[in-house]
Amino acid sequence: MPFPVFLLLIIVLLLSGIKQNNLLAKQGWGLLSAEIMVAGLAFLYWGFEQGKTSSREIAFIAVLGALAAVGRIPFAMLPNVQPATFIIIVSGFVFGPRAGFMVGSTAALVSNFFLGQGPWTPWQMFAWGIAGASAGVLKIIFPNIGTAGMSVFHFIWGYLFGWIMNIWFWTAFIYPLNWQSFLATYAASFWFDTFHAVGNVAFYLIFGAGFVKILKRFRKKLEISILD
Amino acid sequence: MAVKLFYEEKGLFLQNLHPLAAMVFLGTLLVLALAFTNPLYLAGILFVIVLTVWGADGLAVWENYLKIGLAMMLLVMMINPLVVHAGKTIIWHGPDIPFLGRPTISLEAIYYGIAMSVRLLDIISVFCLYNLIIHPDKALNLLSRLAQKSALVISLATRLFPAMARNIEHIKDVQRMRGVDFNRGTLKTKLRKYSSLFNILLLSSLEDALGIAESMQARAFGSGPRSCYSQNFWRPRDALCLAGSALALLAGVWGLTHGHGGYTFYPQLGYLIDGPGTVAVLLTVLLSLSIPVALNWGWRHCLFLKSKI
Repeated sequence: MPFPVFLLLIIVLLLSGIKQNNLLAKQGWGLLSAEIMVAGLAFLYWGFEQGKTSSREIAFIAVLGALAAVGRIPFAMLPNVQPATFIIIVSGFVFGPRAGFMVGSTAALVSNFFLGQGPWTPWQMFAWGIAGASAGVLKIIFPNIGTAGMSVFHFIWGYLFGWIMNIWFWTAFIYPLNWQSFLATYAASFWFDTFHAVGNVAFYLIFGAGFVKILKRFRKKLEISILD
Repeated sequence: MAVKLFYEEKGLFLQNLHPLAAMVFLGTLLVLALAFTNPLYLAGILFVIVLTVWGADGLAVWENYLKIGLAMMLLVMMINPLVVHAGKTIIWHGPDIPFLGRPTISLEAIYYGIAMSVRLLDIISVFCLYNLIIHPDKALNLLSRLAQKSALVISLATRLFPAMARNIEHIKDVQRMRGVDFNRGTLKTKLRKYSSLFNILLLSSLEDALGIAESMQARAFGSGPRSCYSQNFWRPRDALCLAGSALALLAGVWGLTHGHGGYTFYPQLGYLIDGPGTVAVLLTVLLSLSIPVALNWGWRHCLFLKSKI
């Protein structure tokens, strides 16, 4: 039931931006894009709240989220090379889309409690959340995807993450919003995104097999139910 | 750096606000910073935020945020003049570049870039203020009424974060005791050592998660109503701050719909002050947003006021 409501809200927000500076108290795209993002996040969290979640799932999600968050720290010296994206994608791949989203968005929010919250927080929550969720969907569509397929997926997400983050920067601080300024913004982030993508693949190739094996073992433990 | 940006309990007045009042105040600042385009308004909001940061003893922390923001501000200031050709006052014609034509830099675009970097600084400073005055637990407490499970996941992960960072060091120590030297060997052997380190971390963390889940289950998680240990008091100061935020928001929305607070950058710069209405709205917004920092001052220096709020 609330899905159409959220969809409608997002569409209304999108349409209100077409007629520039006129509808909805003359807000610009910077504010509108943030509102759309928050509405999307609220909907995804609402989905998690409604679903049945056992205490084990909650504890696993929290641990994996914290692990991904910690992963952002020791590599902070190299621009954008960090294992967080890799941990989130692998968690989503093994535990499913909903858990993947929660691990990703929790990692972004929690790491920022320590690295500093900023206007980037909801966008990171969204980008990483979708990275985890999409990995869960990937598993459903291609259950037997091999190392090569997963590497490509990790590589793509290096760029997608940066591209989602760029939307925020572009809509809030650049005017006019046209192809030229869009391309210039995206060109400015090209090397950062490339580092991210290559880092993701490297982490997957080095740690991937071991991580997936361990996570699968624990997914089996999830299926054990406690008798009251 | 991680320590400097994190919340510190100092027993300040601003840290004692009810989380709802503080969140609404910060939210109002954020929304207004994103809604206004008039440089005067953006600068005014920045002034109020910095004043409040100062009231929260956070100027040193704010400097760190300034450093983070500086790179982004430079980018904003560079991209705007380079790609925008809507300005009328051209101050520099570039050389002819094949396919791209002659780049031109206009005064309006530079001005817009500067105004937007002030906006960026506004937003970054609001988050700095958030880190200074709101304890993460209080924010989560507020959230937990709306979304229990999500709030639980977040607060568990927040607790686990420092523990996990410590765990890495412990596992490293244990490995070192067993003769694993992380600094020696070729890249391949080093990677293998680190790979086992991370596998152990993952394994032991997930094993701990099972323990957490069992103790949650033992404490009747998910059965019956939630219990709550800490309570936030709603005091006159919170009502005053909330009223201030509401007034600022109302004045801002009224101003925007009546042509104050916006600004024309292209094709030619408009007037900063467009009649007395612009000043009136600006003053109303700034004064009502200053209520928390004014109360903060009163709490420190005026005993009578302190006893009343």
